[in-house]
Formats: sequence, structure tokens, C-alpha cells
Amino acid sequence: MIFTKNLSKSYGWTQVLKNVSFEIAQGEIVGFLGPNGAGKTTLMRILTTYLPATSGKVVIAGHDIHQDSFAARQNIGYLPESPPLYLDMSVKDYLKFAGKLKNIPHRQLQIRLDQVLEECAIKNVENLSIAHLSKGYKQRVGIAQAIIHNPTVLIFDEPTNGLDPQQILQVRNLIKGLEHKRTVILSTHILSEIEQMAHRVLILHKGEIVADDSLPNLLKTSPSLENTFLKLTAENPVIVL
Amino acid sequence: MKNTLAIALKELSGTFKSSKATIILVITISVFNVFFYMIIDQNREAALRDMFKLMEFMFVFIIPILTMEIFAEEKRSGTIEFLMTSPITNTAIVFGKYLGSLAFIFILLALTGVYYGILEYFGSPDRTATLAGYLGIYLEGALFVAIGLLTSSWTRNQLIAAITSYVIIFALYFSITFVKQLEGQAMLEVIKYIGVWNHADHFFTGLFDISSLIYFLSGIGLCLFLTRISIENRL
Repeated sequence: MIFTKNLSKSYGWTQVLKNVSFEIAQGEIVGFLGPNGAGKTTLMRILTTYLPATSGKVVIAGHDIHQDSFAARQNIGYLPESPPLYLDMSVKDYLKFAGKLKNIPHRQLQIRLDQVLEECAIKNVENLSIAHLSKGYKQRVGIAQAIIHNPTVLIFDEPTNGLDPQQILQVRNLIKGLEHKRTVILSTHILSEIEQMAHRVLILHKGEIVADDSLPNLLKTSPSLENTFLKLTAENPVIVL
Repeated sequence: MKNTLAIALKELSGTFKSSKATIILVITISVFNVFFYMIIDQNREAALRDMFKLMEFMFVFIIPILTMEIFAEEKRSGTIEFLMTSPITNTAIVFGKYLGSLAFIFILLALTGVYYGILEYFGSPDRTATLAGYLGIYLEGALFVAIGLLTSSWTRNQLIAAITSYVIIFALYFSITFVKQLEGQAMLEVIKYIGVWNHADHFFTGLFDISSLIYFLSGIGLCLFLTRISIENRL
């Protein structure tokens, strides 16, 4: 479903991604783990076509993101680190706008809107201005815009960042509810989140993948995910895999 | 096309939702009203020529305020990421935003149609000249909006966007005042051509001047093209 090969990205002289290659199958839910500045956001921005890679290849749902960018984008639902919301719009207007940009036919727009309002539990705030919503609601509206066009791949950048425990639980349950139908990538630096949600973990450190394995396998080699993470992302990493 | 319209409508309704649209409309129309009375009272002539000059002068000041947030705010709030990862072309984004602001200028000018109605009722104004004047002022507004759009795409700070577009628009509008000092120099013709003043004036006097039309359209085209490059390079 997602395939990347030798992906590199440099900003001027600084190389933030170095030869990143991985493959993610349909229906998998994969966690990108890494300390701040490891390149998680850059990698996600490249996958979603927001940033061009310096070199390398990305194929999403069978479409190369350079040659067939629009078809690839049509298959991606993306929630950036801060939810991309227009504060002056109401929830309903915003989601309709998102649906139009994502080429949902006019006749289906209302149906899809009702579905995502239901799925993300935001039906009760549909007429409110986004500016008046709590952070948890804003995050759910952000998720709603990512799934409104029924994409096959979902990419969430730190979806629970800055939420309170109750809101974190709600957003996690929402994402878990999505996994059966779709391939999900989520980035975080919160280890428990990965443990609860992901099937597979990719650990990024200084722009390189230092671990790529299923969660049970990672836990086999060390007492906890935290332990593995700290070992791999130490200043002089000891690669144990 | 459908996406472009969706963006344009969102842009226009956003302008009206903020108090900005109301303030701009109230201030400009009030100023126009006062001056319309004064101009007609003094000139005793059924023509809108001096009104167009006033509108032009107002546009120099209000358009950067209207356009400063178009891209700067998207960049600051991160919604640009949402736009640019949607399955739409960058050209559609630029056009959509541009059309939204053009529609606002159109509404503003349509409101001044009342003046023409008054002239038509009490006198017999030159219809062709009025039409040329409206075309001229609309093209000039459209050029200023395109400049504002471009400078807004350069920064995430609205204030910087506004100041930069003021600098460019002032240079185009006020350059004519330096012409006297340059009498006889080669620079004179260049400044006369680049400055917006002469071109707009052709239309205000009732001339459908093709070279001025080309000046405005190529200026708009250049700004939109540069805006597209600017958002493509994530400047």
C-alpha cells in the first residue's frame, strides 16, 4: 500500500532523512517513533506530497507521488501536527469545503458529511464555529477532514499531542475504529500510544530507520518498548536488530 | 474548476464573515458618497471621471488590507498544508483565492453603480466613457489584488505582506510624481510605462486603450505566475 525506497531529504547542508526505505501492507497500522527532530514530520510531509524529497521514490496505493501526484493524494487522508482548521468556519461548512476539494461528487457530499460527523462524534457541534471548540473536538474535526473522502491511507502526525487524558482516549478509540478498513501511519513520541495502537513500529533516529519490526518482536529482544527506544535513540546508538 | 470555485466562495464568505469587509465597504462607500456630492456640485458635469480617480486612490490604500491575509494566514495557521495535500493543482489554489478577492472588488464597484444611476436620471452621461472607466478601475483593482496576493505568498506575517504590497503599489501609483524631475531623461518613458497612473487614466477618459489593457493583463498574469511559483517552493 505504501512503498518508499532510498528516500532522502536535505534542507541546505543539513540532511534530515537518509535513505529511508520501507513497505507497509494494506490494513496495517504503523507507528513512527522517534525523538523530537528525528525527521518524523518531514517524512510524513513527503509521503503526503507536501514536501518534495531530495531523492528517492514513494508509491502510495499504486501511484508514484511524483508522476501521479493527484491520484496518490486522492488516496491519502492527512492530519498534520496542528489540525489545519479555518477558525471562522462552522464544522459543517469546513467539512463540506474539505469534501469539495477532495472531489467528492455533489450528491454524495451530504451523505459522507453525515457519516464522518457520526464516526468522529462531532454531530453535536456541527453548527458551531471551529474557533469555539475545545482542543479535543478540534482534533476530531481534523480527523474528520482526513477521512471524508474515504482514503485508503491515513497519515496522522502526533494525533494526541496536547490533549487531556480523556480526549486522548477518545481520539485513540476513534483511530482504532478506523484501522479495519485502512492503512494507518501515526507518528508520536509517546511510547504507550504505540503500544496500544500499532501493529508495527518504525523507529527513526537522526533521519535514519534504526528499527522496523512488529511490536511483539521488538518486545522480545528487550523488556519494554521504552528500553528499546532509549537504546536505539541514545546519542551513540547501539543497533541491536 | 469546481475546486477553484469552492476556494473562491470560501475566500469571499471568509472576507464577509470577518469585520474587515464591513469596515472596508462602509469607509469606502462613505468617502465615495461625500466626494460624489462634492465633485458633481463643483464640476456640474454628468461624468464619473473624477470619481474613478478617487476610487483608484482608495484602492491604493484598502487593497493591501484586503489581501494581506490570503496566503500569510494559511501559512501561519498551517492550513496551507491541508490545501496543498488536497488533490488540486496549485494553479487552482491561486486562481480560487484570486477570484474570491476579485469578487469582493466587483461587489464594491457594483455598489457605486448608484452614482451612475443618479447621473442617468438627472443628466445624460456618456455611457461608453463610463463603461471604459469602470473597466479601467476594475483592471487596476485586479492588478493591485494580484500584487497583494503575491506579497501575501511570500511570508507568514500579515503585516509584512501588507507593507510589501504597499511599497510595490505606491511605487506604481506615485511614480508619476517624480516624472517632472526626470524631464528629458531616458528613464522618463520607462517610468511612464511602468507606472499605473497613465494606463488607468486612458480608461477614465473613455478610451479603450489596447496597450493599457495589455499592461494590466500582463501585470496580473505575471503576479499570479509568481504567486504559483512562490507557493510551490513553500517560500
